[in-house]
Amino acid sequence: MKQKMNETFNKAYLKKLFLGFLGIYILLVIAFYFLIGYQLHFRPSRGNLEIPTAESVTVELTQGTVVEQVFAVEIQRLESIQIQWGTYMRANAGTIHVELYNLHDQSLLMQQTLDAATISDGMVTTMSVDTPIETVYMVPMLLRIYSDSLPGSAVTPLMSATAEEDGYTLSFNGTQVQGMLCFSASGEDYIWTGLHYWEFAIAFGLIIFVYLMIVYWRWRCGKHSVLINALSAIKKYRFLIKQLVSRDFKAKYKRSILGVFWSFLNPLLTMIVQYIVFSNLFRFDIPYYPVYLLSGIVVFNYFSEACGMALSSIIGNATLITKVYVPKYIYPLTRILSSLVNLLISMIPLFIVTVFSGLYPTKAYLLIPFILVCLAMFCLGLGMLLSAAMVFFRDIQFLWGVLTMIWMYLTPIFYPENILPDEVAWVLKFNPLYYFIGFLRSCVIDGVSPEPVVYVQCFLIALGVLAVGAWVFKKSQDKFVLYL
Amino acid sequence: MMKHKKTIIQIADVSMRFRMTDDRIMSLKEFVTKSLKGKIGHKDFWALKHISFDIYKGEVMGIIGRNGSGKSTLLKVISGILKPTQGNVTCHGNIVPMLELGSGFDQDLTGRENIFLNGAILGYSEEFLNQKYEEILAFSELGEFIDVPIRNYSSGMMMRLAFSVATVVNPQILIVDEILAVGDEAFQAKSRARMMELMSGGTTVLFVSHDLNQIKDMCDRVIWLDHGEIKMQGKTAEVCEQYVL
Repeated sequence: MKQKMNETFNKAYLKKLFLGFLGIYILLVIAFYFLIGYQLHFRPSRGNLEIPTAESVTVELTQGTVVEQVFAVEIQRLESIQIQWGTYMRANAGTIHVELYNLHDQSLLMQQTLDAATISDGMVTTMSVDTPIETVYMVPMLLRIYSDSLPGSAVTPLMSATAEEDGYTLSFNGTQVQGMLCFSASGEDYIWTGLHYWEFAIAFGLIIFVYLMIVYWRWRCGKHSVLINALSAIKKYRFLIKQLVSRDFKAKYKRSILGVFWSFLNPLLTMIVQYIVFSNLFRFDIPYYPVYLLSGIVVFNYFSEACGMALSSIIGNATLITKVYVPKYIYPLTRILSSLVNLLISMIPLFIVTVFSGLYPTKAYLLIPFILVCLAMFCLGLGMLLSAAMVFFRDIQFLWGVLTMIWMYLTPIFYPENILPDEVAWVLKFNPLYYFIGFLRSCVIDGVSPEPVVYVQCFLIALGVLAVGAWVFKKSQDKFVLYL
Repeated sequence: MMKHKKTIIQIADVSMRFRMTDDRIMSLKEFVTKSLKGKIGHKDFWALKHISFDIYKGEVMGIIGRNGSGKSTLLKVISGILKPTQGNVTCHGNIVPMLELGSGFDQDLTGRENIFLNGAILGYSEEFLNQKYEEILAFSELGEFIDVPIRNYSSGMMMRLAFSVATVVNPQILIVDEILAVGDEAFQAKSRARMMELMSGGTTVLFVSHDLNQIKDMCDRVIWLDHGEIKMQGKTAEVCEQYVL
């Protein structure tokens, strides 16, 4: 159906609209800069060193004994060193000195004195500095430990005889031995995109500006472009979408006494049941477990509800599709939107539980809309794919039921992500919901923004799935009416 | 004579093919087993073959033909529900199809909510519906029942509501599959009058009917479809004369 689009807008309106887009972009860029804040510039270093599993003691750290560990790490801003201790299961006494040197210029980087009496077996002590050390990236360092304890009442740093790293040497009183001290080093790295945030923002803004100019110019010449078509479709079908969304929403809670309140109650009840089951039965040790659970449940519920509803959107509206012309993408789209209303309502119990768990809102909460938009885009793409497939193969609805269940168990909703065995853990990397839920938890539980790369991951996943879904839908939509 | 008039719908070499499989494949398993056995055979059925004609602004065009001659398929192609296998249709103006009344109704919504839902589906704007709401309500004679979920309506009430919503517009192009007369006798007379008023009100009308008298009364031109092809088109009187024979 070809219809004249140019009549939909007038010049002034379109100009205003495009300026509005640019204005929103600039506001978003500034808002993100402040909301992401610290996390935009630094992230936990990729070169952080983990404590190797302790296998044996080193030497009894008596007066005159020196334990030295030479090492180098790829950490741009070194912040702390941790050491694990053994006590021979007895009470000890004396003062322990821990020192960290830069082997290039022999300067002392950090030092700490510990009271041996306060150290328990297996305890990990931390030595840290206030201002991160930025000069030791890949520079050999020396960790020296000595004390003034008497034999029989001295502690010992633990070691792993099998752990090995290139260029690391461990020595006792100058004699080199096989193995590695049980210690760790941690710090932060600069984020390259964060350092160049404004350059990126300006470059991207320019691209948008040029694109809008081209679209405007093409429109003046009477040519079509994707953006103008989309805008006129929004204008034309806004009212229909609104009506269909409110229909879905009313239909969902028809003739139930509590009505909309169920959107609120449902995730809360699921959370309580799972909380009771998993905190008593499995005893997962996750801080703020109710919030952890609920944030996973809210996201996954939206996903399964929106996709499940979109799945049947074409089939369910068969009577309409065969009688009236309406762009067919309207049907999955309205299902996604009406579930989104539901999601927004179920965010309320999440915030209530958060506050009750002793967490307080931070500015990171303002980043949550970003992940909701990504999630909705992802579900729309998948929903379009499923609804198109459903028209041709009705088996999809049963397959989808099973698939959702598998998907739920492969998403860390109620378990911590590190309990997955290594053979299965890689699956998480391919699970979009893992990123979305991780983003939400970072905002709600940690109260900070995730690393900038997570934004890119989430957005690209959502955009990719949406593009694939829309493409399949567009290719097959003309055949729908023949199969309904 | 028609030369100076503006073309509002252009139908250029439209053909519509339906694939008639012996059995429609509705599951993956069937698809796999049948394609393995090489059993996916289908016969092509051309519901429309190389149809071309123009409709001019303001004229009333009638379409006649026997059952199965492709009239409804043609209306669906013009209103955009079906995409033609070949050829294309160009429309300049908004189409209101009156193919089946009340197809967008939701049983659980009230009459009032359904007026807005169905109106939106037919492409009316929000302002327009707000403006015409009273008129729709008055025409449907539903009174206080408008706030009752329509699953409680009688079939007559439902049809009255559907008809009132569908005919409230002043479309540029109206597509009518048989003149719809619904409800009791009084309402039938009223709805017939409304249809006549709509169709004679200067809009372009595409009108399918089996009632030759109606066609003779209303139409400027007539197209006679037979087995998906145009058997004849021209002045109403001439075509009707041939058709009866």
